[in-house]
Amino acid sequence: MGKRNTITISSSDDEDYEPSSRLTRSYQKPKSTSSLTRTNPNRAKKPRLPGSRLTKQSSNVDEMRLAFRDFDEVLNGFKVSAGSRRSNPKELWVDKHKPSSLEELAVNKKKVRVNMVEEVKSWFEERLMTPKDEVGRSSVLILSGQAGVGKSATVHVIASKIGAQLCEWNTPTPTIWQEHVHNSSAGMNYTSKLDEFENFVERVRKYGLISSSLNGNSKSSIILVIDDLPVTNGRSAFERLQRCLVLLVRSTRVPTAILVTDYGNADSSDLTARWLEELQLTLESAGASKVMLTRKLLLISCWKLQVAFNPITNNSIKKTLSRICRQELCNVAAEEIDLIARASGGDIRHAITSLQLFCLKPNVELDLSLSNSTPSCPKENANVLNEFSGGISSQYGRDETLTLFHALGKFLHNKRDTENVVALDQNAFRVGEKFSRLPFKMDSPEKILCQAHGQSRPITDFLHENVLDFVSDEAMDDAWAVASYLGDADLLLATSRRTLNRHSEIENVLQSAAASVAVRGVLYGNFHPSPSRWHAIRKPKLWQIEQSSSHNQNEMLRQRFMEDGGSSSFSEVSVIATEYRPVLKWVGYRKAGDVETHESEDESVKRMSIDEEESKISDDDDIEDW
Amino acid sequence: MLWVDKYRPKTLAQVIVHEDIAQNLTKLVTEQDCPHLLFYGSSGSGKKTLIMALLRQIFGPSAEKVKVENRNWKIDAGSRTIDLELTTLASTNHVELSPSDVGFQDRYIVQEIIKEMAKNRPIDTKGKKGFKVLVLNEVDKLSREAQHSLRRTMEKYSASCRLILCCNSSSKVTEAIRSRCLNIRINAPSAEQIVKVLEFIGKKEGLQLPSGFAARIAEKSNRNLRRAILSFETCRVQQYPFTSNQAIPPMDWEEYISEIATDIMKEQSPKRFLPSALKYLIVLLVRGKVYELLINCIPPEIVLKRLLHELLKKLDAELKHEVCHWAAYYEHRMRLGQKAIFHIEAFVAKFMSIYKAFLIATFG
Repeated sequence: MGKRNTITISSSDDEDYEPSSRLTRSYQKPKSTSSLTRTNPNRAKKPRLPGSRLTKQSSNVDEMRLAFRDFDEVLNGFKVSAGSRRSNPKELWVDKHKPSSLEELAVNKKKVRVNMVEEVKSWFEERLMTPKDEVGRSSVLILSGQAGVGKSATVHVIASKIGAQLCEWNTPTPTIWQEHVHNSSAGMNYTSKLDEFENFVERVRKYGLISSSLNGNSKSSIILVIDDLPVTNGRSAFERLQRCLVLLVRSTRVPTAILVTDYGNADSSDLTARWLEELQLTLESAGASKVMLTRKLLLISCWKLQVAFNPITNNSIKKTLSRICRQELCNVAAEEIDLIARASGGDIRHAITSLQLFCLKPNVELDLSLSNSTPSCPKENANVLNEFSGGISSQYGRDETLTLFHALGKFLHNKRDTENVVALDQNAFRVGEKFSRLPFKMDSPEKILCQAHGQSRPITDFLHENVLDFVSDEAMDDAWAVASYLGDADLLLATSRRTLNRHSEIENVLQSAAASVAVRGVLYGNFHPSPSRWHAIRKPKLWQIEQSSSHNQNEMLRQRFMEDGGSSSFSEVSVIATEYRPVLKWVGYRKAGDVETHESEDESVKRMSIDEEESKISDDDDIEDW
Repeated sequence: MLWVDKYRPKTLAQVIVHEDIAQNLTKLVTEQDCPHLLFYGSSGSGKKTLIMALLRQIFGPSAEKVKVENRNWKIDAGSRTIDLELTTLASTNHVELSPSDVGFQDRYIVQEIIKEMAKNRPIDTKGKKGFKVLVLNEVDKLSREAQHSLRRTMEKYSASCRLILCCNSSSKVTEAIRSRCLNIRINAPSAEQIVKVLEFIGKKEGLQLPSGFAARIAEKSNRNLRRAILSFETCRVQQYPFTSNQAIPPMDWEEYISEIATDIMKEQSPKRFLPSALKYLIVLLVRGKVYELLINCIPPEIVLKRLLHELLKKLDAELKHEVCHWAAYYEHRMRLGQKAIFHIEAFVAKFMSIYKAFLIATFG
C-alpha cells in the first residue's frame, strides 16, 4: 500500500464506455496503481481523461520516481519520471519542458514576479502549516490570468516545491449525444457535469479530502486545485455554480486554488467572460484571496493577496525558448525565436508549441533564408510585426482578436499613408483622380471586421452614430457619400432580414457584404478626415429611439381605443400620431397625467442617452491611440 | 369624445359624404352575404367609417361590441417557432387587425388567423353556417410574401370568411388580390362636401359659423375630412365665437419640420459658414429633431415628404428638380431599408451639398 501514491476516484460512470479508460483499467488489474492517466505531476490536464477524476498524487518528482521504479520498464510509454522526462521524443515540448523549479518557472524574471510566486508559495505554506480553524481566514486562492501565463504551472511547481500533494478537479469530457443514447439504453442516468461538480464540492466540504486517509501518509499535505470550472450555460446554471463555489470558499478546510482564465482581451460582450468576472468578484467577497496574472500589480495584505503577473515578456519567453532549443539540440536562429516569442503574445504554452512545430520542419535552413529575406531590420520591429500578422509567417501567429471599439477606432480615424507608395503597373485598372484614395495604414477592413467578431448591424449603427465627428467640417460632399454608403449597407441588411429563415448561407454573405460596404464606404467617403483628436465613441442613440418609439406606438393605440369609447375600429398609428395627437394636445382632452407620462418618458430617454454618452467616454479611452 | 368620433356615421343610412357608395353597399349586403371587398382611397376619406357601417349593416348592433385583445401566436415555421404578438379587435362576427405591424413576419399572421377563423364558424339564426369577416388594415404595407399567402388562403377558405381589405393606394396591392375583390374606391371628399359636414357638425353643436370659415378649414385640410373636423374642433377650443379670418393652428410636428428646413437653409449662407456647421447641422439638428419625430411615431415617409415640401417652398426654381429627384431616390431606399434615419440623413446631406454648390456658383 505504501507504493500507492496515486488514487483515482471517479465520480461518474462514464468510464465504462470510454475506450481510453479501458486501457486504464487493464493496468489497474495487475497492480494496484491506477495512476497511469496522470503520471506526471507537473503536467497540465489531459483532455482525454475520461470522466471526472479526482486524482491525488505525490507531487514530488523524486519521490515518485522512487515509487515507480519497478514499473519503469512496463510503463515506459506512459509514465514519465523526472529522469526519463527529457529524453522521451514523442512528448509535446510543452509538457516536456514544464518548469520543475521556481527558478525555471518562466514567468517574468523580474523581481516582482519572483516575489509574487514566492508569495503564492508562502501563502500555501502558511495554510498548510498552521491549524485550520482560525476564524475569518479563507483558504481559497483564486489565480486568474490570461491563457498561457502559467497559472497551472505555478501551482504545480509550488506544490512540488513544498512537497504537497495536488488533488485536482478537471472538468470531465462532455457527454456527446450518441453516448448519452447509448448510456440510457444501458439504463444509466445522465448526470450533468455541473451536478458532478456540485457533488464533488459537497464531498470535499463535508469530509475534507477523503483520500488523505487512504494515503496512509498522514503528514503529507494536500492542495486542492480546481482547474477549469464547468461550463455553464444560462443564468440559472451559472448561479448554481456560483452558489456552490461560494459554499466551498466559506467552508473548505483544505487550501484550495481556483484557476480562472481571464479573457481580458476578448470581446467584452462575451457572456461567459462577464460571468467569470462576476464569479471572481463574488468569490472574493466570500473571502477568497486572489492572485491575478494580468497587467497590473496590486499587493495587498497577507489575507487578501492580490497579485498580478504581467503577461510574460518577450525576453523571458525567448530565454525559455532558447533553453529548450539547447536541450533539444535544435539549431534555431535567434530571429526565429524572436518572431515566435513576439507572435505568441505572452502565451508561453503557445510559444513552445510553435517552436516545436517549427523544428519539425525538415528544411529549417531554407525557411530561415526565406524569412530573412523579409525586411527584419532590428530597428523596424514594428514593421516586422506587421508583416507577421500580415500572414507571411503566420504559422506561429495567434489570431489576434480586437475589441469592437478598437476596430471602430481604426475605421473612424481612417489612417492612411501620406503618399501612394505602391507603384501601379501599366495594366492595372486606373481610377480617376477624384476616386483614388491613399493606401490604408492597416489591414484590409474585412480582416479587421473578422478579428473584431462584429456583427454587421451593430457595426453599421455605431459607424452611423459616430462617423460625422470624424469628417471634416467643410466637406459636405464627404458627409453625403458616407451617409449614402451607410444607406446602402442598411439596404443590404434589410434584404437579409427578409430572407432570414430560408437561406442562412445567403444571409451570411449578405451580412458580411453589408458590413464591408458600410466600413469601406466610411473609409472611402471620408476623404477629408477632420484633424485627429480625441473623440468619445457613442453608443447608437438609434437603439433607444427605436425602443421608445415602438413603446409609444403601443401606448398610442391603447389610448386611442380608450378615447373613442371603444366603439370604432383601429386607427393607423401614423394617423394617430400625425392627426389625433396634435389636436388632442390643443384640445386638452387628454388627462393631464397622460401627457406627463409621455413627456417624462421622452425626457428620460434623453437623459439616459446623455448619461450613456458620459459613461461611454470612460470605455473608450484607448481609442485615442489610433 | 372628439367630434370625429362623436359624429362618425354609425349606419350606412347616416352617411353624408359618400351617399352613393353607401347605397350600393346596402344593396350589396341585403342577402347577408358579400364578396371580398377592397376599400382604397386617401387618408381621411371615410374608408373606415364605411367599413364599420357596413359591418353593422350585416351583423346588426353586435358588430359594435368589440373587445381588444393582445394575442400571441406561436407559429411553427419549419426549423423554429416564431412568437408573434399583435393587437386585434374582435366582435362575435368579425376580427380586425393590422398585420403590417409585425413587420416582415406578417405573412404568418395572415395565414394563421384566417385558418383559425375558418375552424370555428359561427352558426347564424337560420341554422345555416354563417361567415366571419376579417378586416385587414394597411394592406398596401403588407409584404409581397404576405400578399401571396393571402391570395391562397383567400381562395381556400372563401366559404367561411369574407375579407374586407383597406388601404390607401391600391397600386401596392398585387393584381391577384385586387382581382379577387370587389374594389371600392373612396374618393377624398371635395371641399364642398367637407364644408357640408362641418356645417352639419356646427349645427349639432349649436355653433355660429361665419361665412367662409368652414371653407378655409376645408382648404387647409387638403381634402382630408378627419383632419378638417379635428382642426375645426381645435379652432373651437382656441377661440369662440369664430371670426372668419381666425388662424387655423397647424400640427405641431409640421411646424417642427418646417423649423428643420429653415435651419438647414439658414446655416448654409456662404458668408457665414460656421466652422462646426456640418456637425451642428446633421448631428445635432437634423438627427436630433428627426429622432424626436420618430419617437413620437411620425412615420419617416411623412417626415421626408414634409421636409421636401418645406424646402421646396424656399428653394430657387433651378434646384427644385434635382432636389425632388433625390428625395424620391431616398424615399424609395428608405422603404427598402430598415433604418429610416440613415436615408433621411443622406437626403439632407445631399441637399446641403447641392445647395452649397449652388450658392457658391451664384454668389461666388
